[in-house]
This record gives sequence, C-alpha cells and structure tokens, in this order.
Amino acid sequence: MKVQLCDIQVRFGHLLALGGVSLDLRAGAVTVLVGPNGAGKSTLMGVLLGLVRPDSGHVMVDGRPHQGLPRMEREKLGYLPEAVAFADNLSGRQVMRFFTRARGLSRSRADAVLSRVGLAQAAGRAVRGYSRGMRQRLGLGVAILSEPALLVLDEPTGGLDQQGLTLLWEILSEWREAGRTVLLSTHDLALIERRADHICVLHDGLVQAQGSPDQLRRDVGLPVQISVTIDDDAAVGALVAQLQRGGLADVQIATDIDGRHRHLVMETAPDDLLQVLRIVDGAPSSVRDLRVAEPGLDDVYERLLEVTR
Amino acid sequence: MILGRVGRALVVSELVERLRDRWVLIITALFVLLASGISLYGRSAADAQSTVTAPSIVTLSTFLVPLVALVLGHDAIVGERERNTLGLLLSLPVRRGEVLLAKYIGRALALCLAVGVGLGVAAMVLEPGHRAALLALIPPTLLLGAAFLSIGTAISALTRHRATAASLVVVLWFLLVFFYDLGILAALVATDGALSQDTVAWLVTLNPAGLYRTGMLVSLVGTEALSQMGLAVALPSTALKAALWAAWIIGPLLVGAAALHRRQAVTG
Repeated sequence: MKVQLCDIQVRFGHLLALGGVSLDLRAGAVTVLVGPNGAGKSTLMGVLLGLVRPDSGHVMVDGRPHQGLPRMEREKLGYLPEAVAFADNLSGRQVMRFFTRARGLSRSRADAVLSRVGLAQAAGRAVRGYSRGMRQRLGLGVAILSEPALLVLDEPTGGLDQQGLTLLWEILSEWREAGRTVLLSTHDLALIERRADHICVLHDGLVQAQGSPDQLRRDVGLPVQISVTIDDDAAVGALVAQLQRGGLADVQIATDIDGRHRHLVMETAPDDLLQVLRIVDGAPSSVRDLRVAEPGLDDVYERLLEVTR
Repeated sequence: MILGRVGRALVVSELVERLRDRWVLIITALFVLLASGISLYGRSAADAQSTVTAPSIVTLSTFLVPLVALVLGHDAIVGERERNTLGLLLSLPVRRGEVLLAKYIGRALALCLAVGVGLGVAAMVLEPGHRAALLALIPPTLLLGAAFLSIGTAISALTRHRATAASLVVVLWFLLVFFYDLGILAALVATDGALSQDTVAWLVTLNPAGLYRTGMLVSLVGTEALSQMGLAVALPSTALKAALWAAWIIGPLLVGAAALHRRQAVTG
C-alpha cells in the first residue's frame, strides 16, 4: 500500500494543529513521527486514519486522493492508539475475540495473537487487572491481528518492559521484511533509533526536518565524540598540542582515580573525524583505548527543537 | 442489512460487556427484588392480585427503568473516547452511525434482559391466572427503557467527559421523572387553571415517562380513571403514541449519530 500525506492542514478552533504537513510512507520502511506533546503527531495519524478531517490537503492511497484512509482500505489497517485502555470488565480474550469477529477472522487467530504478545496466561483475566504494559501488549496484539499492510502505532513503547520492547522490535522487523508499511510516533527517539528508516520531526504542527537517521545527523552536524585513554603524560601533551594546532577538536583531559591513566575526550566535526583518528593513530603506543561515539538521534532531536525555540 | 460485520460484532461485545458489568447486575437484582416484593404483597389480595400489583409495578418501572437506561447509555461513546478506544473502533471498516447503533442495540438487549428478568420473576410470584397482566407490562416498559437509553446514548456522543455525561443523565432523570409533572402542576397553578385539559394532556404525553404512565393507566384502570384526573380528553391515538415512541427512540439516536459524525475522534 502506497500512502502519502499531502500538505495536511488542521485547525481546532484558533489552534493550528497541523500547518501543511507532507509525508510519504514507504512500503517496507518504518517511518517515525517525533515531536513534543502537542506537536501534532496524533492529529496527523488521525487524518491518515480518517478520524480527523483536514481543513485542507489530502491523503493519497495508491495514487488516489482521499480525505482519510477510505473504509475499504481500513481492512488492511492495524492501529494502536496512545495509552489504550479497553473495557475494564472484559477479559483479554473477549477483547481480542471482538476484533477477530469485527475483522472476520477465526477464533484461533485471537488465541494465536494472545500467545504472540505474551498474554496467553492472562487471557481469561479481566482487563481491569492488567498492568499498563499488559494493556499495551493487548493493544499491540489487536493492531497486528489481521497482519495489516499498514500498521499505525501511536506511542507504542509506553509502559512496555524490556520483553515488551523486544516484542515490538520483532514486529517492526517482521513488517519491514514483509514489505509492509509502518508509521509510529514517539517522543523517545533514543529508544527507537535503530529501528527507524525515516524520521519526521514535528513541532507546533510543522515539519522541522525529515529524512533517514543518517541524513538527519548529517544535516544537523553535531560533533562526534572521541574518547582516548593514555597512560603517558608526555604523549598526552603531544597529542593535545597536535590536535589544537590544527583546530580539529575541543579536548578535555581527565585523570583516573588511581592517577595512572589520562582520559581525553574530544569533540570534532563529522568531516574532521578521519583526520583526528589519523593523528591519534600516529600517537605513541601508550594509547590504551579508543572509542568513537556518534551523536544520538535524541541529541539531534534536541538540537532541532533548540533551533525552533 | 443495517449492521455490517463490525456492527454485529460490536452488538455481541456490548452485550457481553454489560452482562459482566457489576452495576448492571446490581440494578437488575434490585429491580427483581422490588418487583417481586410488590408481587408478594399483591398475592395477599387473592382474586385481585394483578389489579393490585400491576399499577405499583408501573410506578416502580417509571422511576427505575429510565434511570437504568440512562446509566446504561451514558458512557456508550464518551467511555470509548476516555479509554482511547473510540479512534480504534472508528478505524475499523465501519460507518460512525453504525458504531452508535450497534452500541445502542447491544445495550438495549442488556436492558431487555434486565426488564424481562425483573418483570418475569415478579409475574412468577403471582398465581398462574394473574401472570399475564404483569407479562403484558414487558413490551411497553421496554419502550420506556429504549427511549431513555436513546437519550443516554445521545448524551454520550455529545459530551467529552464521562463525568459530564453521568451528571447530565442524573439531572435529566430528575427533570423528566420527578419534576416534569410538578412543573406542569406549577404551570397550572401559576396560570390559575388557564391551561386547557388538552394542553395538559399533551404536555404529559410529550414526556416519555408520562407517555408510559398514562398509557399504562389507560390499559390497567381504563379511561374513566383518567377522566377523573382530567387527562382523558386528548390522549393521543395509538398511531400517534407509536409515532411519539418512535420519535423518542430514533430522534436522540440521530442527534447522537450527527454529533459523532461531526466531531473529530482525535483532538490531541
């Protein structure tokens, strides 16, 4: 399913919730909407699902323009709303069976999915006794029930423990490998960093930046951090002098508790990284350890938000 | 077919949910208890068991059934909205109006069970020859419940918070069941009896609780009793009564459906 959101504008009264947002959802890719609360992530998802009527713009589905996902296309949709709660007095199995009936699936599919999301043991219990994480797993199960071509997950990591997160990563990877489309929103970019193919940063209803994680890192140009451990004072002095002479890096020096090792923490522009590494490589053999850390996507995101403030 | 696959699934789910709802079970038990108590008392009247019991059960139903129906309906849509499941429901291949109708039907079935069990048990308490009169109360009592359930469902679609919907249905219950007749009485007093009997009769029957009560009085004690109360003159015909019931059941549902259609399901 090829889906494009084209120049979507939504107003709630005087509030501009989305100010002309365009986004392509590629099949076989995980697209992540990121932004602070109130940025317009859920509203954009709502427009896609046909839950929110845009004031202008349209949703293109396989080349045809619509106000939102048309009813027939919703057969191929799986959706997890943010902080979903379900009816307290139904059991997990009853909730799942409602959705299997609604989607025309077999009863056994409900049980299979409950097992898949780790709720087989708790399936007979009323949802009121579920923890937040269990409710989120149930919601995730409902979303993947019909193996939809388009999976829309609003803040899917909320309340999930490590096992739940592993389950989510597995699902994302399965959907990507099967060439299906995934759109998810989060404000915890660090958590989702390695699973995102395309990121769209929203702020106050506007797209601040979008692209692949590498592209965003490049565009923002945050420095790369290099940590070097050296146990020879003379070597430290020489290395620092060399780096500062070329203006290649900001260097901070720290000493170990036992006083034997010196830690150099350098920050350099991504374009200068190779040159800095060559200099470090050319230093005397007293270099004990070398680590290079790229800026995290959360740093990139924070920088983007700083720019908008 | 009015309801598609999703709608039919929703009807079943709504019914199951209501049958697992403690509040519904408690109120049904209370209805059974009170109606059976009235029947037990009526049994002592030997040959006039149903004549004594039925009017009292009508009075009980006039108070209790609207409350049960309003409470059953008040969170149909707003409850889903608060649980963040309204968007999930509407993201299924289903029309918004169908969601509202399916929720209404599922809850109406639960109400049928509650009323049926309550009046059924009360009838069984009487001797076999007197049971028919009580069982005959079931259809009109269900109409009364259906009308108030429709009002409750409309309120659930018009409000944004469950607490608001709950407050509104309680206020409405007091207004329509307690204060409406008092209001008419006050108007009569204030106008020094200038309101015509026809107007009074119309005002009484415009309220579903009044429509039920007067209809039951006619069928149980005859028009003579109503004439003594000054209400017999302009009681609506059967066709008009049917139209009034239909209006009270369908009207609020249409208002609710329009509200659900107009409202954005996600505003965050």
